[in-house]
Order: sequence, then C-alpha cells, then structure tokens
Amino acid sequence: MIQIEHLGFSVGAFALSNVSLHVAPGEYFVLLGPTGSGKTLLVECLCGLNRIDAGRILLGGEDVTALEPRLRQVGYLPQDYGLFPHLSVRKNIAFGLRRHAPAAAGAVDQLMEQLGVAHLADRKPEKLSGGEKQRVALARALAIRPNVLLLDEPVSALDEATRDGLCRLLKQLQRDTQTTTLHVCHNFAEMLAVADRVGVIHQGRIVQTGTPQEVFQRPCSATVARFMQAGNLFTARATAEGSRLRVTCPGGIELTAAAPQTYFVEGEVSVMIRPENIRLSRDCPDFRGHHAQHGRENGTVPLPDANVLSGRLSDVVDLGPLIKVTVACGPDSEYQVSLGKREWGDLQLSPGSQVSMLVAAEDVHVMFD
Amino acid sequence: MKHPWFRPSRASSPETGLHGRLFAAAMLSFVGLFVVALLALFIADAGYVNAAAIDYVLHSQAVLDALWLSLWTSGLTVVIGLAFSIPIGYALSRYRFPGHALVDSIIDLPIILPPLVLGLSLLVFFQTGAGRAIQATGWNFVLEKKGIVLCQFLVSASFGIRAVKLTFDGIDPRVEHVAMTLGCTRAGAFFGVALPMAWRGIVVGAILIWTRAFGLFGPVEVFVGTVRNRTEVLPSTIYLEQSVGHLEVALAVALLMLALATVALVIVRTVGLRQR
Repeated sequence: MIQIEHLGFSVGAFALSNVSLHVAPGEYFVLLGPTGSGKTLLVECLCGLNRIDAGRILLGGEDVTALEPRLRQVGYLPQDYGLFPHLSVRKNIAFGLRRHAPAAAGAVDQLMEQLGVAHLADRKPEKLSGGEKQRVALARALAIRPNVLLLDEPVSALDEATRDGLCRLLKQLQRDTQTTTLHVCHNFAEMLAVADRVGVIHQGRIVQTGTPQEVFQRPCSATVARFMQAGNLFTARATAEGSRLRVTCPGGIELTAAAPQTYFVEGEVSVMIRPENIRLSRDCPDFRGHHAQHGRENGTVPLPDANVLSGRLSDVVDLGPLIKVTVACGPDSEYQVSLGKREWGDLQLSPGSQVSMLVAAEDVHVMFD
Repeated sequence: MKHPWFRPSRASSPETGLHGRLFAAAMLSFVGLFVVALLALFIADAGYVNAAAIDYVLHSQAVLDALWLSLWTSGLTVVIGLAFSIPIGYALSRYRFPGHALVDSIIDLPIILPPLVLGLSLLVFFQTGAGRAIQATGWNFVLEKKGIVLCQFLVSASFGIRAVKLTFDGIDPRVEHVAMTLGCTRAGAFFGVALPMAWRGIVVGAILIWTRAFGLFGPVEVFVGTVRNRTEVLPSTIYLEQSVGHLEVALAVALLMLALATVALVIVRTVGLRQR
C-alpha cells in the first residue's frame, strides 16, 4: 500500500504541490505525465532520496517519511536501470541480499529463471541489450521482496516489440507477487497495457485519478485530454437545454452533449470527441432519419442524443491496423476519425468523398477548465 | 550548400573511405610529430652520455640513495595524494555548497603556479606562528625528508583531485541511489558502488600524482635543500652534477629517471587500466 498525504517538495523553481495519492495493496498504479511534470521527483521522494518539505508518506501502512532509503523496503527501478557496471548480472541481482548470502543464492537463481536471464548470470551489464538490462534491474528490485515496487519509466528506452513484451511481463509478475506497484511513464499505450488505476500528473500536481478507461474517455481537463491524444479537442460555448448541453463548436457547428455529472457553468468550455467514438458513413440524406428510426425501433439512442455531421473526407492515413481520416465540415472545422481496416474497406471511400459522421451525445465530452 | 569537407565519402565505412583515412592520417601525424620530437631529445641525451657516466650512475651510492629517496617519497605522496583526492573529488562532484566554484578554483592553483612558488610559500609559512606551532609538536619539515613529501603532495595533489573529480562527474548518482534502496548507507553506496566504478579515474589520478612528484625539483630545492645522502632526490642529483660540470652524469641520471618512469607508466597503464 502506498499512501501520500499532502506531499510538498521543491527543487529550484519547480515544486510538487500538495500531492495526495492512495495506491491499494496489490494494485498496479500508473502515474502518467509529460516530461518535466515531476514524476521522477515523486518517485525519488517515495524512495527517500529527496527529503520532502511537507506532508507524509506511508508504505505498507508504516510512516516512512523520516526513514532512510535503505529502511523503506522499496524495489526501485530507475529510468536507465542503474545497473552496477562493475558487477556481473548475478552479483547485481544479489546486491541487496549481501547480508543473507547463503540463503540468497537460491532466491537469485529462481529470480533469474523467472525473468529469463539465467543464461546471462556471469555477464557484465555492458554486454546486455536494453531489454535484458531491464529484466536484470527488475530482478534486482524484486530480490529484496519489497513492500512496494517503484518503476520510473521502466520501458521507455526500449523498442516497441520489446516494450510490449516487458509490459506483459511486468503485469504478470505483479499479479503473481501481488506487489503494490507504482509505475511512472509518459506513454498512454504503455499505461493502458498495465494499469489497474492511473493518475495524471501535470506541473507537480496530480490532476486526475481513475481507471484507465475513465481517464482515457473522460479526461478532467483539456490538458489531460491533450496528453491522452484526444484527437478532436475544441474550445466551444455551452448552454444547458433540459438534461442536455448544447455546445457550439468552431465553424458554428452545434452538438448535443450529455450533461456533466458534477457542476456546470454556462460559457466557454473544452470539448473532446475521441476519433474512435465517431461512426463514419457514406453520405446519405436520410442518415439522420434512418438513425432516428433505428433508435426508436430498438428503444436505444433517441434522436436528440445523436449528433450527425456532414463533411468532405480530406485526408486518409494508413496506420497499419487502423485508418485515420480527416473530415472537413467547414473552413475552421476538421474532425479526426479512426476506424478499423475492414470497416474502412466496406465503406469504399476515398479523399474528396462526401461523408456523414455520427457521434453519440455521451461521446461529446465537455470539460470546464 | 554543404561545405565540400563534409561531403560524405562513397566508401561503405567511415574508417576505410578516402576521407576517413585522410582524416585519421592527419590526426595520427600529430601524434607522430610530438612523439618524434620527444624521442629526438632523449636520443640526443643518450648520444651525449658516455660509458663512464653510466658506470658512475649505476655504482654511485649517492645516486642509489637519491633513487631510493625519490621512489619512496613519490610512492608515499601517491598514497597521501589519493587519500585526499578521492574524498575531495567526490565531494566536489556530488555536493553543491556556497563558494563551490571558488573552492574548485583554489584547488587548481598549484597547477597554475610555478612549483618554485610553493616551495617559497612553505618556507615562509613555517616562519609564521602557525608553522612554528606545528614544528613545536615535533613535526619538522624544513630540511627534512618529510618536507620532500609535503612539497610533492602540495604540487601534485591537484592533478589527482582533477582526475578523480572528472571520473565521479561521469558516474550517474542514480546508481548510488539504487544501492541505497537496496540496503546501503550513503557511505556503503560510495564504497560498494561509486568507488569501484571510479577505479580507472583513480589509477589515472595516481599516475598524474606520481609523475609530478617523481620529477619535482624546484620547491624541494628551496624548502628542503639538497644534502647528499640525506635530502637528495634524483632531480637534485641532476642539478648537482650539472652545476659542477658533470653534464654527462647529469644526463645519465636523467635517462635513468626516464627509463624508470617509462617502465612504471607502461606497467600501470597495461595492468591498472585493463578492462576488468
């Protein structure tokens, strides 16, 4: 369990301000943030490498705020792995177990097997690939049977294929050992691959926490949305209309949005529509009528909940498994849409085609920041 | 337009292409020029030395005493120099404090100053109250062998500190941080991780200290003087012999120093700096 209460720490002009966070026992928590947001600094505070100015830190239920790093029982994997270049792989892994040398030998062998580095036991770190270094550093962190595992950008220096494999390994190890894990990174795909819950840190503050899908689909601010690669992010004006919001986007396009669950103040808002939440269709005049009929028949989405936009397909980018298209609805109004390759093939569209876009009101996400 | 010098070679490897080879040849030609210039000097010395001078140097008790004194004083200076260089280099690399830049510059002063000035300064210092107080405790340096070590240490330690600091600068403090999370104290992380990682820089520092100490003459002459069989080191022998007109003996002693230094440096470089 990791509990951070009102943590404050400043270095130069930068400060972590009033950071509070709770990571449940056995949970895999990802702290996501852009470069320079304070992620590494926070991890170093948890390790005890920075003495905090305010607040307190509890690890495994124990207040460790005043404890030295060596007494905190944390498994720390820094950004560039921090392997000891003068020691072999085996000695690196056994480093934290030196005081229990005879008992440790078996544990080290078992960890090396588990992480697939047994064949590298006598090599020096300089002879290892990036992925191998990461596995060795992870084994070294796990060897001391830590209360919490703190991973600082553990896979960011690796190529995509290695990264995916190691993310699966991290998740598997965490499930097997049930070690409370805090993993910081700046890549939301990496976050989606491993996280039980996620927090977003920006300029030294944790601005949102939730499940990956919550943060991904419902960011609390334009800043978070931008970081989550929102795709379609606009500044708009919102007015309340019954249980719905009417949102006027750039180009004068009006959209219906679901009312927010919290407070609402009419005026300028940010609007996000994720590219994968837009349904694309060949332009047909009765699309709206067809959808209304379909909604009424099924008792599902009634007409006022659906937004239909017309536009011209201006750009198509093939991303391999996905197709990303740009639809121009007017001079200041472009929308990004992503769809599967098969779906794209069925539509038989090409740049210049007239298209319609269907967006459910629930997918027009309004933010008041 | 790209400058013609930066036009890429058609050759497959930057080392084997024409441009690459020309560049390597230009760089290596400077190495050759410098080494040849030095060797030309030493060969000229060797040509001047006669068999009688060599025989005198190899059988003279005074020269052997001076050789032994040079070896043990410079060896002791290396030990003391490293004992200071390692903590000072580490502290300057890892800790920031008010006046850091000033302290860093003061440490470089012995590199900049003519060594003779340090000898004079030592002589003056031991005439002051503080210097007399030190001598009153029984630690006499003026005209003593201890004074030779003190001179060598003050002149050469800065070279060691500079080499060791640069090495610690190149070691990511994060590896020590990891060691601390793995059960080490701050000192444990230093001795268990930072120090073994810095061994190459420490060997280089030791080489620099020893070479400076072994060949030191000016401050030793001023502070300790040259008393045959007592405070005479090899550089003093060279000075004494040439001052009485025995130029060939002076050069024979110089060649002995050169031979010893070459052997020592080659051994240290091949054994001490070998990949572990």
